[in-house]
Amino acid sequence: MALETAVLIGVVFAGATYLLLQRSFVRVLFGFVLLSNAANLLLLSMSGRPDAKVAPMVVEGAGPLADPLPQALILTAIVIGFGVTAYLVLLLYRIFLDHQTTHAGELYRDQDKDASP
Amino acid sequence: MNWTVAPILIPLVTGLVALAVGPPTRGRRWGVAVSMVSQLLVAAFLLVGTASGRWFLLGVGHWPARLGIVLVVDLLSAIMLTLSSLIGLAAVLYGYAESGVSEEHPLRLPLLQALMAGINLSFCTGDLFNLFVAFEIMLIASYGLLTTEADDWDIKQAFPYVAINVVGSTLFLCAAGLAYGLFGTLNFATIAQRASEMPGDGRVLLLGLLLVVVFGIKAGLFPLYYWLPNSYPTLPNPLAALFAGMLTKVGVYVLLRALGTMLPHDLHLIHSLLALLAGVTMIVAVLGAISRNHIRGILSFHILSQIGFMVLAIGFFTPLAWTACIFYVIHHIVVKASLFLIGGAAARLNRSDDLDRMGQLWQQAPWLGVLFLCQALSLAGLPPLSGFWGKYVIVLVGLAHGHYGLVAASLAASILTLVSMLKIWNAAFWGGTGAATVRIQDPHWRRMTWVVAGLTAISLGIGFGAESVFQLARQAAEQVFDATEYARVVAGFLGKLPPD
Repeated sequence: MALETAVLIGVVFAGATYLLLQRSFVRVLFGFVLLSNAANLLLLSMSGRPDAKVAPMVVEGAGPLADPLPQALILTAIVIGFGVTAYLVLLLYRIFLDHQTTHAGELYRDQDKDASP
Repeated sequence: MNWTVAPILIPLVTGLVALAVGPPTRGRRWGVAVSMVSQLLVAAFLLVGTASGRWFLLGVGHWPARLGIVLVVDLLSAIMLTLSSLIGLAAVLYGYAESGVSEEHPLRLPLLQALMAGINLSFCTGDLFNLFVAFEIMLIASYGLLTTEADDWDIKQAFPYVAINVVGSTLFLCAAGLAYGLFGTLNFATIAQRASEMPGDGRVLLLGLLLVVVFGIKAGLFPLYYWLPNSYPTLPNPLAALFAGMLTKVGVYVLLRALGTMLPHDLHLIHSLLALLAGVTMIVAVLGAISRNHIRGILSFHILSQIGFMVLAIGFFTPLAWTACIFYVIHHIVVKASLFLIGGAAARLNRSDDLDRMGQLWQQAPWLGVLFLCQALSLAGLPPLSGFWGKYVIVLVGLAHGHYGLVAASLAASILTLVSMLKIWNAAFWGGTGAATVRIQDPHWRRMTWVVAGLTAISLGIGFGAESVFQLARQAAEQVFDATEYARVVAGFLGKLPPD
């Protein structure tokens, strides 16, 4: 099970990296969505094997509990990731409104060596 | 009363209240200014306390050590808190002087307070995941500040900044997860104890390398710096000063904290790597500065070049080098922020910060020129100004350990810094085009200059009172270098909390 999780995380990371390196900013956005999911999966896998463990709730006579801390961390990370994704979508929309493109090659084509406004 | 949480709570509450009050008014401005002064006073109180050997700790929610978040303020944290409140106050006052209430963007002050809360939390926290959260608060506020007042040119410069920081945060999240998997805790002190029980473990080294990448992005280390020099010049002047002064230095602070207090001290690969990258950063960034032709562009590249000096000192990895690093951070934050503010005042007088269209400032506004000269020469490292002492000790340590190439690189970078500063001086102050007009009647620039004069006085004080500042930096460096003492204090404190 650990191996499968590791392979899955690796594949998602690879996909995210591929998308992040694209020139279209919309693809970069999707790359970020994938990347944050890959990171969340990685965090989840840090709570160890869930076999023969029960959900972390205090019940009389319950067996060993699954480690709840990574789940709390993921919850925080999901909320932050959600907010940042929403921000990125709006930022891209603003760039699109101003420049009619979200392609890096077209956006920065006329950028000379000196970025004076 | 536990004062540990005050540097985070005050800006957070101020920001929320400012948001609730609504559109900018004179009263809201006063409220924020009073809050910034009280932040500075709290930070000064923490500084005096920690300088006399006290530690300020808070176990949030009284959770036991392995799981709960601890806030720890030691001397280094207190120094950084004082600097961030000082620069925050200067930025706020300068912003007031620069534009009237009616021109102020309604979100600027609330976002600025959120940024302060994030910066202060990253100095106070003793927990790796909490550090991640602090970074996120700081970054999200900075995204907001970078884009709310942006025009259509600025907005496309913001995307690379946001994109690389988002990726950096995600990598930080991965690093925090891996640290939890490896050590079963996220607390700096407990990580330090457990890491010292597994000497030579490759996984610790890998985790350290991952953290260096994350903090290197934050600090703007070669080759991870390209987001900075194009995005910072698009910010309004007071915000540019705050970003330039504080944000990259948060990266330097966490490098000190992580390498000194959390990770074992035998990761020589990381230390040599940092020193090497720092050398390259210094040279490449200062060449970038020379290539630019507008004040804020030049200054933005200088931030990176100076980061090179600080990280070089971290890479030498001796208490003396770290003393120089902390001294350099203190000097750099004040000088860099005030240079951005001087640049803003000069650009206001000339209506442009393009060096081809500036000039004649020395005849019309000599005091602004004097301030610029003090800070520019200090940045380049001329004795007896504050920049000299830090560089001097870094060079001494480098020579003592035989890093001749890196020392040569740092001296070359200093000379090139001087060259690019003289470029600003010649074009904007001393000579420049005769066609440049100086709007000396502008009512704002005098008050702006007063704010800068305050900062310049502090930086001159650092230069002339270098001995006492150096003693303070040495105490802070020895404290942050001593991981066992940190672990002992935090463990001793957590032992007093109620058990599971």
